[in-house]
Order: sequence, then C-alpha cells, then structure tokens
Amino acid sequence: MENFKNSPIVKKIGFNRILLALVLILMYVVFAIISPSFLNYSRILSALNYVYFLGFLSLGVTFVIATGGIDFSIGPVMFCCALIAGFSLNSYGVPMPLSILISILVGFVFGCFNGYMVAYWSVPPFIISMASMYIAKGAASVFTRMQSVSWPQATAEGGWYRSLVKVGNFPVGLVIFLAFAVICAVILNKTKIGRYILSLGSNKEAVRLSGVNVKKWEMIAYVICGTLVGIAAIFFVAAYTTVQPGYGDQYNNEAIAGCVMGGTSMAGGLASISGTVIGVLIIALLQEGILALGIDKNYQLIITGIIVIVAVYFDVMGRRRKN
Amino acid sequence: MSNQTAVSQVKGKSTLDKLGGQKFIVLIVIVALILLFSVMSPNFRRYTTFISILDYSYYIALMAIGVTFPLITGGVDLSIGTGLICYSLVGGYLVSLHHMPVWVGIIVTIVFGMAVGVLNGALVAVADMPPFLVTLCTCMMTRGLGSIIVGGFGISWPTLAQPGGWFRNIFKVKVGTMNVPIGIIWIILLVIVMAYVLNHTRVGRYTIAIGSNKEATRLSGVNVKFYHIIAYVICGGFAGLAAIAYSAVFSTVQPGSGAGFELEAIGGAIIGGVSASGGVGTVTGSLLGVFVICLLKTGLPFIGLQANWQQIITGLVLIGAVMVDIIKKKRERN
Amino acid sequence: MGDVILTMKGIDKSFPGVHALDHVDLEIRKGEVLALMGENGAGKSTLMKVLTGIYTKDSGTITYEGKEVEFHNTREAQDAGIVIVHQELNMLSHLTVAQNIFIGREPKKGFGIDDKKMVEESRKLFQRLNIDIDPTETMGNLTVGKQQMCEIAKAISHQAKVIIFDEPSAALTESEIEELFKIIRDLRDQQLGIVYISHRMDEIKVITDRVTVMRDGTYVGTLITKECTKEDIINMMVGRVIYEDPKTESTVPKGAPVVLKVENLNAGKMVQNVSFELRKGEILGFSGLMGAGRTETARALFGADPKESGDIYINGQKVIINNPQDAVKHGIGYLSEDRKRYGIVVQKTVAENTTMADLDEFTNGIFINKKKENEVAQKYVESLATKTPSVDQLVVNLSGGNQQKVVIAKWLTRNCDILIFDEPTRGIDVGAKNEIYKLMNRLAAEGKAIIMISSEMTEILRMSDRIVIMCEGKITGELDISEATQENIMNLATREIG
Repeated sequence: MENFKNSPIVKKIGFNRILLALVLILMYVVFAIISPSFLNYSRILSALNYVYFLGFLSLGVTFVIATGGIDFSIGPVMFCCALIAGFSLNSYGVPMPLSILISILVGFVFGCFNGYMVAYWSVPPFIISMASMYIAKGAASVFTRMQSVSWPQATAEGGWYRSLVKVGNFPVGLVIFLAFAVICAVILNKTKIGRYILSLGSNKEAVRLSGVNVKKWEMIAYVICGTLVGIAAIFFVAAYTTVQPGYGDQYNNEAIAGCVMGGTSMAGGLASISGTVIGVLIIALLQEGILALGIDKNYQLIITGIIVIVAVYFDVMGRRRKN
Repeated sequence: MSNQTAVSQVKGKSTLDKLGGQKFIVLIVIVALILLFSVMSPNFRRYTTFISILDYSYYIALMAIGVTFPLITGGVDLSIGTGLICYSLVGGYLVSLHHMPVWVGIIVTIVFGMAVGVLNGALVAVADMPPFLVTLCTCMMTRGLGSIIVGGFGISWPTLAQPGGWFRNIFKVKVGTMNVPIGIIWIILLVIVMAYVLNHTRVGRYTIAIGSNKEATRLSGVNVKFYHIIAYVICGGFAGLAAIAYSAVFSTVQPGSGAGFELEAIGGAIIGGVSASGGVGTVTGSLLGVFVICLLKTGLPFIGLQANWQQIITGLVLIGAVMVDIIKKKRERN
Repeated sequence: MGDVILTMKGIDKSFPGVHALDHVDLEIRKGEVLALMGENGAGKSTLMKVLTGIYTKDSGTITYEGKEVEFHNTREAQDAGIVIVHQELNMLSHLTVAQNIFIGREPKKGFGIDDKKMVEESRKLFQRLNIDIDPTETMGNLTVGKQQMCEIAKAISHQAKVIIFDEPSAALTESEIEELFKIIRDLRDQQLGIVYISHRMDEIKVITDRVTVMRDGTYVGTLITKECTKEDIINMMVGRVIYEDPKTESTVPKGAPVVLKVENLNAGKMVQNVSFELRKGEILGFSGLMGAGRTETARALFGADPKESGDIYINGQKVIINNPQDAVKHGIGYLSEDRKRYGIVVQKTVAENTTMADLDEFTNGIFINKKKENEVAQKYVESLATKTPSVDQLVVNLSGGNQQKVVIAKWLTRNCDILIFDEPTRGIDVGAKNEIYKLMNRLAAEGKAIIMISSEMTEILRMSDRIVIMCEGKITGELDISEATQENIMNLATREIG
C-alpha cells in the first residue's frame, strides 16, 4: 500500500483522487448490479444532465473556497440568472445569444458584488452570501413578477442553445464541461490568478507583504465564481427548461459538497479541480441512482451530508497532524 | 520625564452606545416602518394584520433567540430552518398518526431539536470542524430525515376542534370573536429568561467568553468544549420550540420546506446587533431584528410593493447592519 | 528585608537544540521586589515559565514556603499563590472587568452567577490596590494601562504570595507607570514576594531592592540595588566573550551614495520621529531591547502598517509608500522575524515562493512560465546553497535556515536593492547562521543596502557597518562600528529618557 502511495504516477494524480475515482466506479457498479437500467445509455445521459449545471457551480465555488472564503448564494444566483435572462428572452424578445450573455453577466455582477464586499470591506463571506441570496431571490421574482420562466424547447425558435447539452445522443455538455474544467485547472495551476488565489488562501499576510495586491485577487476569485454560476444557469435550463423564482438553495449544498469531497480544503490554499469534477460526478450518480432504485430521494440528502462531514473531518485531522 | 498626561479611564462612550447601541437604531427602524406602513395603507392598521404579523414572527423569533448563542461563540447554525420542519413533522407524526398525546409530541419535538444541537456542537467543538459546513450538512440531513420518517406526506397537528387541539391556544386564544395573541407573552418571557441566561449564568458568560477569546477562556480553566456544545444545544432546543410555534400557527407542515427560515432568524439576529465575528450580541436585539424582517415581509405588500421586494430590502438591510459594525470598528482602530 | 519565601536551585531546562536554562538559582523574599534582568534570550521568561508551571524543569528543585513543590500547570501554581502578570494581556474584551477577574471561578447564586458579589469583591480588590476602576466597565473600553491593573487585581485575587511582573510597563504611559509602582510598593508592604522583569534601568533603580542578572541561560549574580550602579548591572549582563570576530571598521566604500533616507517617521507610540540614512553596500544594524520599536519602524517604512507622517527618499527621490506594493515597487524587500506568518507560504513550493514577489516577470500575459520559474528558483537554490531535494519541495518541509534562504531568494528575484532583515537568524541553528551572515556580507559587497534588526549583540557587532540604537520608539544613538562596544550600545538601549 505504501509502495503504491509513493509511486510517482500515484503521487502525481494524488492518492485521494484515485480513491475518490474508485468510489465513483464502485458506486456505478453497485447501481448497475441492483438496477441493470444503469447500463442503458439514456440513463447515463440523464445523470449527466445533473452533472453540467452542478459542475459549473462546483467549479466556481472551488475558486472561492480556495481563498478560504465561502459562497452559498450560488444556487439562488443561478436561478436568478436563468430567470432574468429567460424572462428577457420570452417577454422582451431578446435574441438567444444575448440572453445567454445576460445570464452570464448577471452572475458576473453578483460575483463582483460578493468579491468587492469580502475583499475590500472585509464583510464575512458567510454574511455576504446570505445577503446575496436574499437579493438574488428577490431580484429574480421582482423581475419576472413572480412567474416561473420556461426556456424554449429544442424545436422552437432559438432552441439551438439546447445543443449545448446534447446533439442527438451525443453529450456535447460533457465535452464543454470538461473543457471548462480543464480551463479552470489551468487557471488555478498555471496562471498568476490561480497562483495568487491559492497563495492568499494559504497565507494572506505573507502574500500581502510580498507586495501583491491581495484584495484584487481575492475579489477575482468571487468574480470567476459568479461568471461560472451564470454559465451554470444556461446548462440548467438547457436540461430542465423551467425555473421558478424563490428556489435554488439545495444546489448550494450539493455544489459545495462536490467541491469539498474532491479535496478542496475549507481552510483555503488547497484546491483540486479534478477532485471537484469527480465529486460532482459522485453526487450526480447518487442522485440518479436513488431515483432509479426508487429510493426516497431524501436519503440522498442524508448520504451527501454524511459524506461531506467525513471528508471535512479528514481534512481537519490531516491539518492537525501536520501542525 | 515627558509631559504625557493621564489618559482617561474610559475611551468615551457615544450617546448612541448609552442608549443601547444598535438596538436603539433597530427600535427606531421598527417604529418608522410601522408608521410608514400605517400612514400609507389603511389596511395595515387593522387588527388582523397585527395578528398575522405576530403569527409569522413567532417561529422566526424563537429560532433567532436560539441562534444568538452559536453566533456569539463566533459560529453559526444553518440547520435550524429545515430542522424546525423535521422536528415538527416527527412530533406531529406521533400525535396524528400514532395517536400519542400532544404533550408527548411536543416533548419529542424539542428533544429532537436538542439532539441535533448536540451533534452540531460536538462536531464543531470536539472535532474542530467549521460550524458553517457542519450545520450545512445537518441542514441537508434533517431535511431528508423529516421526509423519510413521515413517509413524504404533509403532517397536520390536531386542529383546535380536535382532541389535543389545546396546544394551538398556546399562541392565540379566541376571546369572544377576538383573537388574543398570547404568543407574544411567551416570546417576551423567553427573551427575558434567555437574556438572564446569557448575562447572568455560566452558560451565557462562557458563550460570550468563547466568542471573545477561546484560548484565553480555556486557559482560565473553563471547560470550553462543554460550553461550546451547550450553545448549539440551546439553539437546537429553540429550533424545537420554534417547531411547536410553527405547528400551532399553520395547519399543515410540508416535508422539504423550511430552507431559508434560518436565514430570516440569523439575519434578524445580525440586524439586532449580534457580531458575525463573535463575542457580541443580545437576545433582545435579536428579537427586535426579527421584527424588522417580519415587518418588511408582511408590510411591503400593503404599500404596493410585491412581497419579493422584501427579500431584496432584507438583503440590503443586512449588509447595512454589518457595514455599520465594520465601519464602527475601523473608526475605533484609528 | 523579609524571610525567604521561594528558592529555585539548579534549575535546568533544554529544548531541542537549545540549553535554555543551565543550573539557574533564584531566591525570592517576602516584602521585597527582586529585579530579574538579562538581555533578550537570557532565559528570564523561561525561568518564570518553569516557576509557574507552564514548562516542566529537567532538573533542579523549587522550595516554596519550606516545602519542595512542583507545578504541572498554571492552575496549580495559582492555587498555591504564585501568579504571573503577563506582558501580553489575556483578556476577554467583551466582558466586564469583574467578569474578567472571576472568569472560570464565578461565585454561584441559585442557577445564576452572583454578579453583585463579583463586583463587590472586585471593588475590594481595587480598594486594596488603591486604584479607581469601575468593575462594571467593559474591558475593551479601558486603556491598556487600566487593563494591566485589572490583570494585577486578577492576580492578587488568587490569594497570591508571589507575583511575577513580566515587563509590565512596556505599554504604559508615565503616569500609569507611577500608579503601577505605587501598587507594587503596597503589595511589597503587605509582605508579598515580587519579581519584576524589565529592561528599563531607571525603573530597576526606582522600584527594586535586589537585582538578579542572567546571561545565556545561566545565573550570573545578585546585587543589592542601592549599592550598585547601572554600569555594574550592564557589565554583568553583557560580560560574555564574543567568539566570532566583531567587525572593527566599516567596509562601506567612502562616498557610497545614500540609497534610502528616512525623515521623521511616526507611527504610534513605537515609532517616534525616526530618521536615518542607509548607504549603498552598507549593513545598518538596528539594536535595542525588545519593544524598542525596531520592527514597528521597519513595518511602517515598508508600508505594512499605516504611518502618521514621515518622508522617505530613495536614491534622492521622495517616494510615497502606503502599502507593501509601493515598497516593493521601489525596490525594498522585508524579511520578517516571523517567517512562517509573514515571510513564506508554507504550503507552496520553493519555486512558487521564490517568484511570489515578482510573478509578472514569469508570465507571458496569462500563463506562468514554469520552466523559467524553475530555472530561476534553481539558480538561487544553488547560489544561496539552499538545502532542498528540488525546487518543487513544499517550503514547510525545509529547516528554518533554508526557509530564510527562500525568502532571500524571493527578494533577490525581485531585484530589491534595499533589504530589511528583521532578526535574520532567529530560530536558525548555528551552522546555518554563519551561512546567512556570509550571504548578507556578499549581498552588501554586491551593492545591496541592508538594514539588519537584531536583538543579538554578537550579531550586531559582527555584521554592522554602522549601528542605530532605539529605545522606547525613539532613536537614542548612532555608532560607527569602530566606536561601538557592547557597553555603549547597552547604555544607549537602556537610556533613561527625559
């Protein structure tokens, strides 16, 4: 075991991530044994629908958690993006490309707001998340006059956006999501942005004393998160069509769960995009599996909760041992 | 020797602090909101409006009283909203489907809340995990658990006419044709009791001490882990009480609901002057903060704004309250 | 002079790599104030920590009231009547004075706490101390001086028989110090044994009866305060042989240009009207005792803390430095005394820390040029002889000396011409120390200008070309290395002001 742990290839990928991937595979096998429908391609496609939007949320929040902060306004903000853009599309005749842009823009604005308040005003991230949650829900329902919004069907005018998710039976969404994951991983690990975000999450004062504008980079993490939330909104409606004002809370938990499960430390400074991707896949599989096996979907909530507590427990213990 | 003059003992209190600080501002805001709504809408001035505002405020007020304790330790409890529904479902399930006496249901509800409090507290204080994440998980778990236990259906606690319906009189008694909101008396009594606990017992003293400087408190020989857990147990217990209030006011309890209740309670506490960084807060302040939120929620529709403006305005008020705190601290430092 | 209340004999204590206390003796008498003196790191605090149960001794005996005792934690020492008033205050700023004094042992009354009794008891304590503090006031609203009084009240509320004051006057104003002395005299007259740790020579003369001097973890001797002079004490404190050769004359070439000029820098109580010049190729030593304001001066200069006033000129040009970004832009690098908190990001690699201050140079707009980064990091690993398996090693795994080299590499990468070394060899073992010294000399020879803050006299005398001495936030003197001796530096560092 120790040999395996220390082999260069395992070290490069990370032992925990291999473990996580094994959990994912094992889960799939178990589900497939209990319910052979899991071998059907359509079942996988439907599970993937859940991966896309959740994945973007989770990618986004990974950046924020990497700074040592938190954002749990992402679910409601995603709904706010989808509602405002969708309402503009349906009621004001805004063309589809512009609507998509509006969605991303709304997310971007929320990200700027959250980041500015946290970085420049030192408002605790947890409070600003709460406030943003209220504002997102309120703004969305005020804008749409409390109606739910249905985005166009594939055949309708402007329905082309659905091919972002799949064309025929080909999961375009997966390709796009993975592409974004790669981009995020590159940003996090290969660029100045990521370097500063991770460093300040680890030791903000040391980075500041190196002459780095830490406020700016901390804010940027939230802006990246917001923008990805805006993109997540598009994938949500492309898969599920309808959004209702006043909802979206539960996706916060799942997105944060996916991120934490993947090995991103709540204390900041340590983040893994590939871990986040696997974490999201596990949550989506769990959701689909529980649906398919006819188990009460509430078990999913409990299981996810326990998994996250265990993941965080190991993170805390690991850090304690190091000190 | 240089001619340094003696520095006065006290740095100087502003007039505002003497009047009770943020609480005083909040009280003025409440009065102003009531005046505004009353002037602009004759309907708001009705007695029934008054009753319905109170009905809506009971459970949030109870949650806010409880959550004040974890907040003062520098933590938070996000599980109280979905927890409330879960506890109420379980209690109601025993009463309505297993025909247990209502008082048993009430006790189970409260004890369940305290048990979740123990779990939260232990994970935070003993396992040293971030309170935010721990309670987010228990929030998900209670949400699922409530539904699973009752089988996914809504639960109705006994109505006034049914046997055991007496408990609905706890919060509202009909005298002749008039509803008397006696719930407010209970709330005020509980606020007095909890204010006493916070200010004049070891539990409260150490809650503040933990939020102020946990390490110094530990070095003074206080069993910080125990008292840290107690703060969460109080919070859980009050979530249980809030569940009773909720069950008494509303006819049915729906599984899956409750998310977001905690934000109204926490928001109220913060508006009422509880510091998000711990160490500072009062029970009365939290109660007043809740009234601001409830007034906005019920009052805004009366002046022609959709109920949803309430959410935006609540968000802004919340930021405003925190900014006042931050700016005040910045000034003190200079 | 009273009877002996407490004797420490042959106390020995080692930490990994450091022999902190080497068979130290100490005798405390009733109704007497004993000064405990020594340079930074002489072992005063360690000795007191052993006495109050924070550390356990390796060997030696403590005899208290005629019995041999051993305390395992502060609580046991407190219960026995030995208490310490710390320099850093352990207070709960949100609670009231009375609540702070009785935290953890509140009197009960029914379900609640008997606050009335606590306030009364506190009032009695303050009466005994003859000071005027309202026990119902919130702690955070009091001045530092009053907070210190509350700590003393808390200390004597334990029925104390021995009280240790660890540099109690550091944060106090003149009038507060007078008040403190009054209290100490009162306590002495009540037949308590008092240990007073301070660096201020004038205070020692005023308040204490005997002086015990420590040096390098050993007991040097005890004098009767009335019968000795300041010079006697200083000689006992510094009378060590300096093994490494001190610099005898400045190596700065004549006419070297002034690269940094600081005029009338002010930042709070710890930095008052500080002015100095730094030349190219010079190592300017900043000497002084703990709390003299040297680190505060460096941080204000670097923009890490806000300053109230003062002009900074770099190469003759006036510059504005409001934050570390400005400082770095003007070529100033700061190597903090607390590397782990302020110097390095421990969870990042050697290479990543090396380029932290100059990342723009390693990006082509977007991406970090990992190859170039590794090359530069490798170059500095070699030229500074940093011991690390590779530049991909996490800094947390390096030793203190090698971590310091990584911080140096960070500022060299940025091409900083002015380097501020704050306690450059703290927590670094002897062999690595010499390497750091060599490196600093090399950097100076290459034309860097260096400010070196150090509490080690040997380090100051060995490295500096010129020495600035600070005391109580002010510069009290400037010496060329050719005229500097331990004695005259210590004299300036303990100067009686006013």
